[in-house]
Amino acid sequence: MIRVQNVTKTYRRGAETLRVLDDLSLEMERGRFFALMGPSGSGKTTLLNLIGGLDDPDSGSVVVDGVDLGSLSGAELSAWRAQSVGFVFQGFNLIPVLTALENVELPLTLAPLSRKERREHAEYALELVGLKDWARHRPKQLSGGQEQRVAIARAVATDPKLILADEPTGDLDRDSAEQVLELLGRLNRELGKTVLMVTHDPHAAEHARSIVHLDKGKLGTVGETPIPESTGA
Amino acid sequence: MTFLKLVVRNLLRHKVRTLLTVASVLVGIFLMVLLRSLDSSLVAGAAAAESDRLIVQSAVSLYVDLPLSYQAKIASLPQVESTCKWQWFGAYYQNERNQFGQFAVDPEALFDIYPEVEIVDGSKEGFLGNRRGCVVGEQLITRFDWKVGDTIPLIGSLFPHPDGPDVAWEFQIEAVYRPTTTNFDRQTLFFHWDYFEKTLDPRGTTPPGMGTLVLQVAEGVEPTEVMAAVDAMFENGPQRVQTTPEDEFQAQFISMFGNVPLFLASIGGAVLVAILLASVNTMLMAAREQTYDIGVMKALGFSDGRMFTLLAAQSMVLALAGGGLGIAAAVVTQPGLADLIAPYLPTQYVVGTGTLVLAAGIAVALGLGAGAVPALRAGRLRCVEALGSTE
Amino acid sequence: MLVPLSYNVRSLFVRRASNLLTVLGIAATVAVVSGVLALQQGFANLYAENGRDDVGVLLRPGATYEGYSAFTREEALKLMKSIPELAEDENGAPLAAMELYTAVRRFKRDEGETNVPVRGVQPATFRVRESEFSIVAGRNFEPGSDEVIVGKSLLVRVPGLEVGDVVPINVTPFRVVGTFACEGPHESEIWGDLDRMIAALDRRGPSRIVGVLRAGTDPEALATRLADAKETPAKFQTERAYLSAQTAMLSAILGLLGTVLGLIMGLAAVFTATNTMISALASRIHEVGILLSTGFRPFPIFLSFLFEALLLGLLGGVVGTLVVLPINGIETGTTNFQTFTEVAFAFRVTPAVIGTAIAFSVVLGLFGGAWPAWRAARLTPTQALRRH
Repeated sequence: MIRVQNVTKTYRRGAETLRVLDDLSLEMERGRFFALMGPSGSGKTTLLNLIGGLDDPDSGSVVVDGVDLGSLSGAELSAWRAQSVGFVFQGFNLIPVLTALENVELPLTLAPLSRKERREHAEYALELVGLKDWARHRPKQLSGGQEQRVAIARAVATDPKLILADEPTGDLDRDSAEQVLELLGRLNRELGKTVLMVTHDPHAAEHARSIVHLDKGKLGTVGETPIPESTGA
Repeated sequence: MTFLKLVVRNLLRHKVRTLLTVASVLVGIFLMVLLRSLDSSLVAGAAAAESDRLIVQSAVSLYVDLPLSYQAKIASLPQVESTCKWQWFGAYYQNERNQFGQFAVDPEALFDIYPEVEIVDGSKEGFLGNRRGCVVGEQLITRFDWKVGDTIPLIGSLFPHPDGPDVAWEFQIEAVYRPTTTNFDRQTLFFHWDYFEKTLDPRGTTPPGMGTLVLQVAEGVEPTEVMAAVDAMFENGPQRVQTTPEDEFQAQFISMFGNVPLFLASIGGAVLVAILLASVNTMLMAAREQTYDIGVMKALGFSDGRMFTLLAAQSMVLALAGGGLGIAAAVVTQPGLADLIAPYLPTQYVVGTGTLVLAAGIAVALGLGAGAVPALRAGRLRCVEALGSTE
Repeated sequence: MLVPLSYNVRSLFVRRASNLLTVLGIAATVAVVSGVLALQQGFANLYAENGRDDVGVLLRPGATYEGYSAFTREEALKLMKSIPELAEDENGAPLAAMELYTAVRRFKRDEGETNVPVRGVQPATFRVRESEFSIVAGRNFEPGSDEVIVGKSLLVRVPGLEVGDVVPINVTPFRVVGTFACEGPHESEIWGDLDRMIAALDRRGPSRIVGVLRAGTDPEALATRLADAKETPAKFQTERAYLSAQTAMLSAILGLLGTVLGLIMGLAAVFTATNTMISALASRIHEVGILLSTGFRPFPIFLSFLFEALLLGLLGGVVGTLVVLPINGIETGTTNFQTFTEVAFAFRVTPAVIGTAIAFSVVLGLFGGAWPAWRAARLTPTQALRRH
């Protein structure tokens, strides 16, 4: 599903030039839950951004589901993102002036749907994350965990094939984190979405099927977690 | 959830700031309309004057009167249909600061030559029949709280009453007029020539002169022909004359304002600049605070163009709201201001549609101009940077 | 303890762009208001400064200014002889002159026409005006001739008044033989021989009498006496009172214009300043928390932010004043509607104008900053330090 080939990315900070990704190549199959791990500065967020089309590499290519991201123009990339990717960030990133439901609807306004269809999709997504009753609440009226779940609802609202999550549990307490991770797991198992999650927490990584380690911009080990015997929770 | 909803919600997020920005645009547009209306009201006096009315005045200046005998001579010209003499009376009502025009005129000829003087209260016949009667402009009624039937005492400054400088001339209000055109003065008092002349000169030894003589050119006659004929008649005095069309005559008063219209225009310009700066300032500040949100939306797949449109729309809504309210305020205050300004300016304060259209255009331009920088910035903002921003 | 002022000064530099725009907004307001006030000062000072207390003006009773006043020659002579308060020259004759005031319509250099004041004077006029009057080009006119001299302020605004030009008054041509300077409104006038003017205009007599008063004359008493006089009544004023009265209306209009503009533009400027301060404080809310937790109390914090707003206002005032200064001395002119004649004067950016401008700008800054500063100071440390 995802093919990253010989990708290099450097950033300039002041007088220094940092090579964040160094000739990295990687393949990820469809329908799997991946965890991207590594020490800070290892380039994992940058890799996530490249796969999501938020950034472009200095050299190399990124192909997602047959689409070479480098070949798309800015507008095409935006449209592709709207259709194919759902983002979940550490900081929730809900628009404060919109209600929970309106936040979920936001990406749907980019799709050719009628108002009624949009509303239905959004309500469905909110129900999926268990927050149907909180539709009219504003972000500041929600707890951290609830906000993140709304963000997840927003990410799946357009039914994208790929979910990209950057430290989704970083700002949450243990219980909320558990809820969020389970939710991501369900999206992967029940809806067949490919999930790519950046995390530094080994416990969070346990929810993923494959673990990709990065170190100083290079690929480290790629391992697999054993499938648990019972698929509860 | 529509685009417009997002625009409005963003603006309402900081209610105070939005309110203040709308208020300053309101004030700016209102002031701009006020100044421009003052300016165009000042120069409007000369426009649309009747072209077949001519004014005969002294070639020297309005400080010099013409002998009464000139009227008969001019009236005898075949090209002249009718004449009406005017004499500036120069008195005041109650105290010296209360200035307005008063003229001794030929009463019947006044209405013949000036059809725009429309009687709205009292009666023309009442005025014509009462030698001590006067017809006053509607605005004088409101200004001094007069009514038909009142006796008005005026202290003569240019023509003191023969019985003593503190003795008032008394006139009875027989009629009230409202002009049908905007360039005829709304607060003048007209009274009978006979009364004027007989009071000053009861024995007929030293009659007063006339300030100007208005003449109506006969139909089909070329006005310039009459002008030349009249001027030639008195080439050698005793008082040389200058005959001009009415609009040129009015224009001399307008041109006496000199630089004032230019002055007002530059003030208007400075005001606009100040308001534009203020609005740009506010939009930039607001936009900076939206950087993070913009990053999120771009991540979700909103294109650069849509972000540009969002920010531009936010600026437009503010500018149009402020501009619309400013225009409304200018229109609503026009009657009140007209009354307030009337004592100081010779012409009527009017807010023309041209000015309002210009104001609307400026509001739109303001929205575009002030929104351009934040909108462009939003369009170009790189998603990754925006998300990294802590604002 | 008070928050160090350097904190505020440096903070202003941090958000350079928005602060600059606010300063410019206030500067524009101040510049406009100062411009109008400078115009008003230029006009008022022309008249007010130059009215003499030792010169008296006599008009016909009831006349509000000399253009409306008229005496017969006999009346005027009788009047002059009946006033012992008039100073005398070395021959024992009163140091007073009859003058005729009228206007002649001329084209201006820029578009349009204007009424140029014309004054018929007697030789005694020059004695009364000795300390103020001088010929700067050509020569003075010969008494009894058809010659005139022109005030130098007119030359800038009205063409055809140079030495050698001819000014027709009714059917009589008068030749310009000189240019004169005379502080005050007379510099916008054309002067000629009284008798020749009276003849040219077919008048009955002069408009007014001017004369030097003896030291110690009580103007009020004289005015009362002349008003009540049976034989030769007259309206008496000192020249200073007379000239001040001439300016009343236009000065009032300009003053009103300046005030109205100042209020309206000031309102807009205050809104801008408030907006800037609100936004600035919103982004510095963390700093407020730190100040509070360090031990600064709310009131000094309020003062501190108020001071910052004041600085913004002051900067705006200084910039606005600098922008307006160059117009000082620029000649302009208009029709004085009370006399219906042309008067030339220059913009005067007086210390009073500058003082008003600066004070106004500081007030704008204070009004703009008061509410945001108060809101900032009311925060508790936890509110301020919480990250949002």
